[in-house]
Amino acid sequence: MRRGLPTRALEPIDLKIADNDFVTIIGPSGCGKSTLLRLVAGLDQPTTGRILLNGKPVSAPGPDRGMVFQSYTLFPWLSVADNIAFGLREKGVPARERAKIVDEWLANVGLADFAQHYPKQLSGGMQQRTAIARALANDPAILLLDEPFGALDNQTRALMQELLLGIWERERKTVLFVTHDIEEAIFLASRVLVMTARPGRIKADVIIDLPHPRHYTIKTSSVFSALKARLTEEIRAEAIVAATALSPSS
Amino acid sequence: MKPLAPISNKARVALGILFFVLFFAVWGYATLGGYVSKTFLASPLTMIEEGWLLLTKHGFLLDIGITIWRVLGGFVLAALVAVPVGILMGAYKPIEAFLEPFISFARYLPASAFIPLLILWAGLGELQKLLVIFIGSVFQIVLMVAITVAAVRRDLIEAALTLGARDRGILARVLIPASAPDIAESLRLVLGWAWTYVIVAELIGSSSGIGHMIIDSQALLATGQIIFGIIVIGIIGLISDFLFKGANQRLFPWSFG
Repeated sequence: MRRGLPTRALEPIDLKIADNDFVTIIGPSGCGKSTLLRLVAGLDQPTTGRILLNGKPVSAPGPDRGMVFQSYTLFPWLSVADNIAFGLREKGVPARERAKIVDEWLANVGLADFAQHYPKQLSGGMQQRTAIARALANDPAILLLDEPFGALDNQTRALMQELLLGIWERERKTVLFVTHDIEEAIFLASRVLVMTARPGRIKADVIIDLPHPRHYTIKTSSVFSALKARLTEEIRAEAIVAATALSPSS
Repeated sequence: MKPLAPISNKARVALGILFFVLFFAVWGYATLGGYVSKTFLASPLTMIEEGWLLLTKHGFLLDIGITIWRVLGGFVLAALVAVPVGILMGAYKPIEAFLEPFISFARYLPASAFIPLLILWAGLGELQKLLVIFIGSVFQIVLMVAITVAAVRRDLIEAALTLGARDRGILARVLIPASAPDIAESLRLVLGWAWTYVIVAELIGSSSGIGHMIIDSQALLATGQIIFGIIVIGIIGLISDFLFKGANQRLFPWSFG
């Protein structure tokens, strides 16, 4: 924030995330949804207000809040297996136990045959699968995902959604997932939050009551379509505000 | 020719060799054809002849060996000091603020200008030659390493933080491995410059080495020998660059190729 006034990214937000919830956040670009996630991760600090995780305030990044970024952030010098083991190593988990957890996660994301590959040898989808495994191998209290499938093609994206949902249905982790794809938001979530144009506020809080395990065919059901129509309207109004706002988007 | 259009490997090698052929052809034409006085420029044939004599009769191989040892010695000393300092400078902003202004200044001090001073301090021995190369290389390496380390992708550091890495872990297991290939490439570049410093150091107050041979040959007007010496430097430089590149590719398979 050099020169000029600092940008107000977020309005005060009062938000409670329950254990084992899969919450997706949608909103127009620049609405501060990534900022919200970065605040929870501890990568950015709020100017006012606090973030509590299980009652304890968040002040810095830590292994209890796993994060998957939109950009590919695997460590290029480490193999897939070593990437997944990174957090466990930092924690000082003994090599034997580490190997066991890594093997489990390699299998969970279907990359057992690629354990010794370097990230640059993997497709974008495989890299993000590794990133998810890397975050979850650490057994965080909450998993934060910032448009993790944003750079993937549509087919890969759909498969990744099913994979992530499958993992969630088994592990029941608390998940906070930022996206601008309405269909993705509904398909994955037990609760969708719609944010306004910047400065972001939560405009709508929609419970998604679709049954689990969810099959991809649910995307063509009438309940799904109705939810999609409703959220599309909510988002559209905000997108118009964002598009006509003078301030440059982040 | 289209902009940026690739060419086959064969064509690349052939074109590369073609330039050398042309170079020697023009040189040969100018000297053997009598357009340039022999006193000022020896012909390629004379150069090879005199070079052969140097190698077989005058123990030039020993000079080559001494020069290589000086380059490597000075360079390795500089790298041992500069790489850790550069890493700390890149990683920690207060250290950068402390050292960067001085090193940016010191970088512009020509190593050759220190030679008279170094002769006073260290005499005419090997230490003085090593110091010239050391001074010529150390500041360059520090700055290049610092820039490389400071430019490590932020999102990799953030990813490591969310995985529970602390300060030491970020330094040892993110910043250093992430910048290692670029540090190695910087070293390769500086090694090339070290060759120019060593010759200058040997031109002044030296009794051995390639530079000493060149300055001796000047007194004898043996331009063939001078050119041979220069070409030997070029060939050694090419070989060391090739070896360095190969080593980097083997050490960092995840980054190159």
